[in-house]
Amino acid sequence: MNQWEVFVMDVAELAEGQDLELTIRTLNPGIHKYTYKRVRAQVSSDPGKFADQLQVRLGRGQMSNRKFSIEVLGEVQRMPSKYL
Amino acid sequence: MAAPRSNREFVEACVKSGDAVRIKQEVDWDNEAGAIVRRVCELGEAAPFMEKIKDYPGFSYFGAPLSTYRRMAIALGMDPNSTLPEIGREYLKRTNGEPIAPVVIDKKDAPCKENILKGKDVDLCRLPVPLVHDGDGGRYVGTWHAVVTKHPVRGDVNWGMYRQMMWDSRTMSGAVFPFSDLGKALNEYYLPRGESCPFATAIGLSPLAAMAACAPSPIPEPELTGMLAGEPVRLVKCETNGLEVPADAEIILEGEICPDYKVEEGPFGEYTGYRTSPRDFRVTFRVNCITYRNNATMTISNMGVPQDEGQLLRSFSLGLELEKLLKSQGIPITGVYMHPRSTHHMMIVGVKPTYSGIAMQIAQLAFGSKLGPWFHMVVVVDDKTDIYNWNEVYHALCTRCNPARGIHIFRNTTGTPLYPHASPYERKWSMGSQVLFDCLWPVDWDPVNDVPTTVSFRSVYSQEIQDRVTSNWTAYGYPPVK
Repeated sequence: MNQWEVFVMDVAELAEGQDLELTIRTLNPGIHKYTYKRVRAQVSSDPGKFADQLQVRLGRGQMSNRKFSIEVLGEVQRMPSKYL
Repeated sequence: MAAPRSNREFVEACVKSGDAVRIKQEVDWDNEAGAIVRRVCELGEAAPFMEKIKDYPGFSYFGAPLSTYRRMAIALGMDPNSTLPEIGREYLKRTNGEPIAPVVIDKKDAPCKENILKGKDVDLCRLPVPLVHDGDGGRYVGTWHAVVTKHPVRGDVNWGMYRQMMWDSRTMSGAVFPFSDLGKALNEYYLPRGESCPFATAIGLSPLAAMAACAPSPIPEPELTGMLAGEPVRLVKCETNGLEVPADAEIILEGEICPDYKVEEGPFGEYTGYRTSPRDFRVTFRVNCITYRNNATMTISNMGVPQDEGQLLRSFSLGLELEKLLKSQGIPITGVYMHPRSTHHMMIVGVKPTYSGIAMQIAQLAFGSKLGPWFHMVVVVDDKTDIYNWNEVYHALCTRCNPARGIHIFRNTTGTPLYPHASPYERKWSMGSQVLFDCLWPVDWDPVNDVPTTVSFRSVYSQEIQDRVTSNWTAYGYPPVK
């Protein structure tokens, strides 16, 4: 199980039942904690629906008290290849 | 006492004077180190030198490096007990002299080249980048540092303290405002051409190099550092681009600013004492090389409610740079002071009111200068008011500033996304407004019959009575006045 976190202005941005493109950061312990990825994912307000947990923060870093689960479908590479 | 030439010499000098403490027990980079630094700032305590960082053996942190005037005095090689006016006079004396050019040294003599990571070894997570505040958008690599760039046409070098957040192992995003030197270079040159801008980030600078990077001076920062130190700063050439960086810095990141790619940055605890600027897609830095000293020390500034070095040093340097500007225009000012607790938003100017409109002239110069976007209040008091004494300034503001004639609002000026009082729209577009509080008696008032006389022990009693009362003070039964 992985732990992820996402920043949103409004929890309504986390629409259920559809593929979303999100910037999420890992909360897994270790030196890479808090690094980001851009991913395609599905989320659910049912914390048990998907294996990975998703914590939500709002625009100024406030933690939402709602818990989500997430399934990461794949990584989205937006960075131009010349920088890779 | 000589000015410390490196962060290491500065830490030693601060420990020796009692202005830094060595923390031997392990500290977690994830919130704990930040919380220590924050509490130190709020209590005005000695700077923490954290010798053991969880997950990062061999690295250390130095927090709140310049959040007190004592440490600022030590940085300048002065007695830690120096007063603020004494420190200010010394800063003006040194920075009014001839620029001192840096020297470029050989790589083998540069401490910052003791370890070099290139290619697949480049991973920012190999450095103890702290999560400074819980809820920040990321771990901040740059909170007390210098981003080094060079103007592609003019060739002038810029060291700026643009905050930098680690996005992934090789990518950082940062807040670079459009009115800043780097913001202008990006918008005027690199972005329209789609060209990458070479950069280097120097962390763990000598305190005077950090002071120069923070100061809004027109003098290029390498020369300014030399002037402050009284000797040339040592630079060394980067591994992967043509820039030169402080050779005695603890950590150097080299790379390019991407003109065609942006990632999210923020939110972040800011010097205003709030998280104000929105999370947004900001200037993106791609790191190609990391060099660092053995047992490198990362410097951490934890911005928040007063007082931290962002507030203290920016207040100090903004005030003194405005003093230089106003004196260069022949305005008979007695001094300029910004209290750090204003989070460098209120400029207090003392002036001899010799002609009409002098307060307005001061405000127009202040707000219209390069310094202007960083503060939004100018308070002008007369030459008899002690600008360093908030009680006197507050009294003048509340009694001499006429609500109809003394308050002048400047609209449609340049602001920053960090202003808590600005609307979300104004923050997004760096739109500002500013205000002058003119606390001078009008020059057309008859000084004898129209201007009120101040009623204080100092002003209404003869010297003889004052002397008699002060010499008998303890005999009256009062404790001695310190």
